[in-house]
Amino acid sequence: MPGQPMQVYEVFRREREGGPMQHAGNLLAPDPELASHYAREFYGRRQESVRLWIVPRAAIVDLDDPDLLQPPFDRSFKKPVGYSTEIKAKLAQARSRAGTGKAGEIQ
Amino acid sequence: MTTGGPGTTGEPAASVNQFDPETKQALANLLLATADDEFVIGFWDSEWTGIAPLLEEDVAFASLAQDEIGHAQALYQLLADLEGGDPDELAFGRRPEEYRHARLLDHPRTDWAFSVARRFLYDTADAARLDALVASAHAPLAGVVAKMRREETYHLLHMHAWLERLATGGPEPRSRLVAAMERLWPDALCVLAGVEGDALLVEAGVLAEPLAAVRRRWLAGLAPELERLGLPAPPADPPAGCRGPDRSDDFRWLWEQFTMVRRSDPEAVW
Amino acid sequence: MSESRRVQDFNRHVASGGKVEATDWMPEEYRRAVGRFVEMHANSELMGVLPEREWILRAPTLKRKLALSAKVQDEVGHAQLLYRVAEDLGKPREAMLADLLAGKTKFHNVFHYPTHSWADVGIIAWLVDAAAIVAQQALRESSYAPYGRTMKKICWEESVHILHGRDVVLTMMNGTARQRALVQDALERWWGPLMQMHGPRTDPAKDRDLAWRIKNKDNETLRQEFLTVYVPRLREIGLQPPDPELRQDPDSGTWRYTEPDWKELYAVVTGHGPRSAERLEFRRLNYAETQWVRDTVLAAPLAA
Repeated sequence: MPGQPMQVYEVFRREREGGPMQHAGNLLAPDPELASHYAREFYGRRQESVRLWIVPRAAIVDLDDPDLLQPPFDRSFKKPVGYSTEIKAKLAQARSRAGTGKAGEIQ
Repeated sequence: MTTGGPGTTGEPAASVNQFDPETKQALANLLLATADDEFVIGFWDSEWTGIAPLLEEDVAFASLAQDEIGHAQALYQLLADLEGGDPDELAFGRRPEEYRHARLLDHPRTDWAFSVARRFLYDTADAARLDALVASAHAPLAGVVAKMRREETYHLLHMHAWLERLATGGPEPRSRLVAAMERLWPDALCVLAGVEGDALLVEAGVLAEPLAAVRRRWLAGLAPELERLGLPAPPADPPAGCRGPDRSDDFRWLWEQFTMVRRSDPEAVW
Repeated sequence: MSESRRVQDFNRHVASGGKVEATDWMPEEYRRAVGRFVEMHANSELMGVLPEREWILRAPTLKRKLALSAKVQDEVGHAQLLYRVAEDLGKPREAMLADLLAGKTKFHNVFHYPTHSWADVGIIAWLVDAAAIVAQQALRESSYAPYGRTMKKICWEESVHILHGRDVVLTMMNGTARQRALVQDALERWWGPLMQMHGPRTDPAKDRDLAWRIKNKDNETLRQEFLTVYVPRLREIGLQPPDPELRQDPDSGTWRYTEPDWKELYAVVTGHGPRSAERLEFRRLNYAETQWVRDTVLAAPLAA
């Protein structure tokens, strides 16, 4: 095949069995085959990975819009931290009414 | 005789103790030839470290060279278990005429096409050699060979990738590759030649078939790819003096380099 | 939002520990400053290969050959990682290599000096790498996140190099009298460049790289860290740094030393070191020799 322009390939790796694929870095290569060899070199030659994904950067769909990822309105109803303070106070109240526990403790 | 010391596979080499002296010598010849092949190609290819055509490829090619040195180390250990001595003494302690590597490895690294062609020819020949040794009756050798074959998988993938790219990359890469192969082919046959007593090793079950048969199998395996890519075919027979004692000036230079520090202070431990 | 307001917000963001990614908006000055910083670092890794690579052939045992080969391979790998970071900021790799080879961009002083013996290999792998890692550990917290992440990988890989270097030196110090003499000699030749390596004391108020937290520690801090760890380690095995003024203040812990020759440093990094010209020429020749591979098989885009 004639020479193709070099592309950036992103490399993801799994460090040990059962672990997630994590972004490890990127490299330049003229095609996917050599990209996979180079990924092995950079992220596997010390036996430090059990699996690699090699993906052309151009194939990645990138989302970094803060309007989508960090929308401004309160979302505490979706998160544990939105309940823990309220529950603490109400539990103390309920125990005190039932005469069962020490105020301020969560069981 | 193996003592199960460091570096061995720990297998009792009962088979070796049953070998007659000629067969043992043939085994030593094979181990030395193979170890020297791996050692010398590891040195030439490590010269590309830092100056390969592409940074990514630099790292890859360095790994191939390191693998060969690791394999040489294991093979020298097997030889030391057989005859005494230690791997470093064997690797570094001989005169140039006493090295038994194939003539293919007497050439310097030259240019990228030459190094790729030489590596391609070496790795494919070595794969055929390892195939003939994987079921060896000499258990320690079989163990080392099994590990080497796994590492060679990557070498073969990588070198096939480069052969393809040079052969089809346009007039310049192609002409360099063809010229390199024409120069290298006769000496490449030496990788699977020049080991005295290989018939005895076949009888003893150390080697599955004589080296000449391994060589035919190797060449038959390569033929379709070479034809598809329009690359030069090999000559029929290997040249004389496949494994020394006549060595090239380039190898003598290499020997000067790799023995320099040890010769500067023979008593020293490094 | 006005440009200057945007810049002010950016400056506040990085000054308080905020991170910047390759695709984020950044002031042109910051982009250039990071690019130059990372490019010089990449150049240094690439040129750093040269003093050591001749010893790969000369390594006196199989184990040392493997270790040194792996170390130099790592340096090439680091160059690749760093050029990738710099390239994502906008300057193509080919352009950076062209500038290096034309002598337009710099690389660290230590890589302009010759090696004389196997002892140099040990001293470089131990002390030069140690001095570098002191700086590199601080760079893991760089405001420019791709650089910080790369530094984490590099620091992890460098830790082996220092151990290898220390092992080589210890083996020689426990060896023959000739070996010990070689090590002391190597230390005496490398001490000056090592002391210059982190650079002269700078005024933190005037250092933009510090203000933007591209780097987080000033030069003198790094040099003091290096001395604190490594002078005792040298002395405990019988090696003497060749500086009669070198001593640690017992109260403050600060090291006093003969002022390094900053004129020498300046001359060296501007290309007038003992091996500067030779090494650049070597690189130029090799790069030219392999251009056909890049032009055809790899078809790298031409320099901007």
